[in-house]
Amino acid sequence: MAGELTLEDLSKRAARAGLKLAEDELQKLLPGVNRALRQAAELRQLITDCTEPASAFSALEVDKVSPP
Amino acid sequence: MTAGDLCYLTISEAAAGLRRKEFSPVELTKACLARIEAIDGKLHSFITPTTDYALEQAREAEKELHSGKDRGPLHGIPIALKDLYATKGIRTTCHSAVFEHWIPDDDATAVAKLQGAGTILLGKLGMHEFAFGGPSVDAPFPAVRNPWNTAHIPGGSSSGSGAALAAGLCYGALGSDTGGSIRTPSSHCGIVGIKPTYGRVSRSGVVPLSWSLDHAGPMARSVEDCAILLQAIAGHDPKDTASANVTVPNFRAGLKDGIKGLRIGVPRADWFDENKGTDPETEAVFNAVLKTLESLGAVILEIDGKAFSIARKANQTILVCEAYAYHEKTYQETPMKFGTSVRRRMLEGAFLSAADYITAQRARSVLNEQIRANFSRVDVFATPSAPRPPEAFESMDPNDQNLRPNFTNPFNLTGLPAISVPCGFTSGNRPSGL
Repeated sequence: MAGELTLEDLSKRAARAGLKLAEDELQKLLPGVNRALRQAAELRQLITDCTEPASAFSALEVDKVSPP
Repeated sequence: MTAGDLCYLTISEAAAGLRRKEFSPVELTKACLARIEAIDGKLHSFITPTTDYALEQAREAEKELHSGKDRGPLHGIPIALKDLYATKGIRTTCHSAVFEHWIPDDDATAVAKLQGAGTILLGKLGMHEFAFGGPSVDAPFPAVRNPWNTAHIPGGSSSGSGAALAAGLCYGALGSDTGGSIRTPSSHCGIVGIKPTYGRVSRSGVVPLSWSLDHAGPMARSVEDCAILLQAIAGHDPKDTASANVTVPNFRAGLKDGIKGLRIGVPRADWFDENKGTDPETEAVFNAVLKTLESLGAVILEIDGKAFSIARKANQTILVCEAYAYHEKTYQETPMKFGTSVRRRMLEGAFLSAADYITAQRARSVLNEQIRANFSRVDVFATPSAPRPPEAFESMDPNDQNLRPNFTNPFNLTGLPAISVPCGFTSGNRPSGL
């Protein structure tokens, strides 16, 4: 289980993210952010070192172009 | 036939009537426009009606049909669009002050395909702001109301699409679905909506919420109508990197085949009772429907719902991260242009790390495999479309919604197709979806 963020932690993270948020807004955000972090921690339990993300990358395809 | 009867025809009935010359595209369009004028002041389903444009298109469709040029079952049919589909020369707001005055230069691919099929555009529909958060109380446009009871929410985020169809204001609509935004309003408004397979319908020109979860799809008053609309908008589009270059089948072909022998998996254990659980009335309606399906020859199998339950969490993590990534610059420049509900949800993404996001995408791989494994035993999954009936605006807490089981999210995570069909009512005449 991830540690819960405090209002102070959230304020520091907001500054790092370039966000200017009033204390009352941070206070309202705090439960949702902590829930999101708990969910992320729960998801971490599912994966192993071998698990790749479910997003596909395709190598760039380049059409052959005649030299000028 | 009264104007009211005309407005509640299905697309297939209207198409047949047009060809029998029982009425004309202009008459269908005028009937819808008159009904919008008469009752939409109470529903707020339309943000931007396109009255003159619709009549112009209707006259053109009428001329073409009379001259023998028939573009198919959507020719001359009035439809409407969730207001995040780009429409050339027509304001596209996403129900937000951020895009309040945006007039796109091009149509979204799905819109262009519907135009090519001869549909008539009645206007742009209200939604949850940027397809996110809850019903907007501080957006420049009023929140959409449920036609079954205007004190209640219509579900979202394609709220205008659901309400307009239920109220007989259009024959078909497009919605979008990132976590249930087609299926929830379909359930709450008593109509049909399908989230197609990821990649089946182009997202090009649809304002994104979350690239890896967004699906564009149709909503209508019957399954056949959804199939007709899906047929028109499906297909490969090089402008959408996720678009699948595969053959599009005939979606109407198997509609009357019946369900004898169909194996239906119900992922109930560890899911329906999650957190605050499923409303007992909703579950009772659902259980009655399972009995009906069984009586029609289907085989019902209870399966483990754990992976589906966790899939909801992965979906939410990915969604908030991608949504914040899309809106970050605009948010930092003009934060107060976003409504409170969107701002609060979207900012959760700002406080998650890149590792959290990638973890959710890795968990998505695991969960997809776990859900896929069920297909050795079942052909389809069945759940209620929404865990509760549509709530009253007064008592609804948008933050509380995230704590409940959500039966739609997992199918955005897997990209599997998912449909909501009306399946009964809970108390107070509130529709329920399967």
